[in-house]
Amino acid sequence: MTLRDLIVISFGNLWRMKLRTFLTTSGVLIAIAAFVSMISFGAGNQRRLEEEFNKLGLFTTMQVYPKSSRNTADTASYRKLDKAALVELAAIPGVNLVYPYDAINVIARLGDSTAPTKAQALPTAAVRTKLFSNLLAGSPFDSNSSRQAIVSNDLIKKFGIHTPDSAVGRSLILAVRVSVIDSGFAHILADQGETIWDRLKRIRVDSLLKTNYRSHVLRTEGNATLRRFLNGFLNAPAIITDTLTIRGVREDRRGGMIRTDAIIIPPETAQRFTSAGFSGNPADIFASMSAGTLFAQSDDPGGKSYSQVTIDFDPKVLAKTIRDSVEAAGFRAFSFAEQFEQIQKIFLYFDMALGVIGLIALFTASLGIVNTMVMSITERRREIGVLKSLGADESDIRWLFLVESGVIGFLGTVGGIFIGWSITRIVSAIAQSYMKGQGLPAIDLFALPLWLILIALSMGVGVAIIAGFYPAARAARVDPVEALRND
Amino acid sequence: MTSDIYLSTTNLCRYYHRGSQTVKALDGVSVAVGRGEFLSIVGSSGSGKTTLLNLLAGLDSPTSGIVDLAGVPLSAMSRRQLAAYRAHKIGMIFQSFNLISHYSALQNVEMALCFNGTSPKERKRLAAEILERLGLADRTTHKPSDLSGGEQQRVAVARAIVKRPEILFADEPTGNLDFENAQQIASLLTALNRDGLTVVLVTHNLEMAQQLTQRTLRMQYGRFVESQKTTGGRRP
Repeated sequence: MTLRDLIVISFGNLWRMKLRTFLTTSGVLIAIAAFVSMISFGAGNQRRLEEEFNKLGLFTTMQVYPKSSRNTADTASYRKLDKAALVELAAIPGVNLVYPYDAINVIARLGDSTAPTKAQALPTAAVRTKLFSNLLAGSPFDSNSSRQAIVSNDLIKKFGIHTPDSAVGRSLILAVRVSVIDSGFAHILADQGETIWDRLKRIRVDSLLKTNYRSHVLRTEGNATLRRFLNGFLNAPAIITDTLTIRGVREDRRGGMIRTDAIIIPPETAQRFTSAGFSGNPADIFASMSAGTLFAQSDDPGGKSYSQVTIDFDPKVLAKTIRDSVEAAGFRAFSFAEQFEQIQKIFLYFDMALGVIGLIALFTASLGIVNTMVMSITERRREIGVLKSLGADESDIRWLFLVESGVIGFLGTVGGIFIGWSITRIVSAIAQSYMKGQGLPAIDLFALPLWLILIALSMGVGVAIIAGFYPAARAARVDPVEALRND
Repeated sequence: MTSDIYLSTTNLCRYYHRGSQTVKALDGVSVAVGRGEFLSIVGSSGSGKTTLLNLLAGLDSPTSGIVDLAGVPLSAMSRRQLAAYRAHKIGMIFQSFNLISHYSALQNVEMALCFNGTSPKERKRLAAEILERLGLADRTTHKPSDLSGGEQQRVAVARAIVKRPEILFADEPTGNLDFENAQQIASLLTALNRDGLTVVLVTHNLEMAQQLTQRTLRMQYGRFVESQKTTGGRRP
């Protein structure tokens, strides 16, 4: 007996018992429909995440941080993310590009509006990576020294521009407050209610021989001089302005491990602001002081250290290999590819939990199959006897019933996939309508990938065949002599 | 045993246990069926005729004794080999026709070819051909319930012989038929035997057995009590 014979006979038998077949198949159908609709929710989210990762090139992006001194007992192994570190990271095999997170506080002016924000320096090569190249309008800037900027969609909205295309080509004025040492020194010498001569006159020259007095004068005058310097340094900043052309507008991304600011400018353009003086932000100054790079910042950009560096690497190289090399160099690494693996594991557990629920429903449906098949044996006892008298062996009879169970499972599964998919379409349409109403992008929450169809088919048909084992074994054991006996 | 013996039994016993009671359905039966012979086994109900037929067909296993098929004991065959024996070498006809009620006449006949490796296309051709030969060409699509008793039994005969078996077992083939249809079936069996088919006919109709067959064995209480050479049929 060929498989074709078995399938034809099975379909024929099931077609004869339409109502019973329909009811039994419905059990499988409901179980599979529930399973498919639940898993397709997980699959939809997983697909969306994967698309987002791919769109941003995150599978080949890694973030590098200095090891926190709190997290390492060996302070000697603490390394700064400075220029030397960038060179070392760039030399790791498979690394295509290394660029630091480097941003300055600016006041942006577009038309008549101004807004305080941050400008991030990014080399052209970085801007051309997937992470930054998904522009809503325009294109990346031409070179590392071009007077161009890429701005976020949110920023142009603040300036009253609602279509990204209309922002491209417009002038953006950036103003940076910088503290220059000159204004600090000028403040020491400046006349602030009393002249230097007045201050010198207050000193009793004859008493300078006394140690206590001398210490007192040095302390008070030193403090006053430092106060005057800081007052001039911090409160009398210079304002550096530059006019750039908006080259592109990009989508906003908030949160996550990727730090991107509202304005992206070429590094040499950013250098014009930072070389003019120290950042006007006292916090930046104290951070530079603690890092030991306060004076290096203005004079030697190579001496700067960064809080975060981004690595773009070859997709053929494993993220783990790059991470191991980064950690071996004394830094902490965050791999998006490895994070995705972790997320996938969570999805897997989620799917497994839903799968168990589906299996329970399917198990219940399988009891219906067992019942139907056992009834079928009782009714077809004589037929089994005839088939055996015609030369069917036990395996033929067993296969006949197993295939019949499998056909019930197959029909139920195909129907279940269709119904499950229809349910997801309805729920998705309702959800998308709600999202649109809330001003959110309408995303499809569900997906029906091929693997889900295959899993549903194998589960539905597999469980049905397993359910058919007992009836099939019972049918194969039917004694033909008893079955053919005249009543 | 001579070389033209096709099937034989030696001291064949088949006992059934009903509680503490042992029912001896067959009790030491020995018989040899020659190739091309038309043998009839007669006896009253419960004499063990059908039990013997089931043992000869390999559908049942003896309590003791041997069924020998051309030198090979059936007891030495595996279940699969016994099924192959039924699929290739024997045809069976039953008193109650035993057609599968939801299949057409053609499908019932085709079913006999499902287990001997005949291709689906060839099955259909052979089944249609044999039904036409038995005068049922216009009944191929009919279900058994749409056929008369005689037609049903002719479909059953077609099913039994479509695979060109070496031996045909007919268990009361005319038991449920009127005289005219019974005569038709009897003529059919004779014709098949004349074409060289070995036939073992089980019946309680002694007169028909004597008319049709060359040898008649009478059974009583699971034993052969009489063997009679008769004039019917074709000499082997």
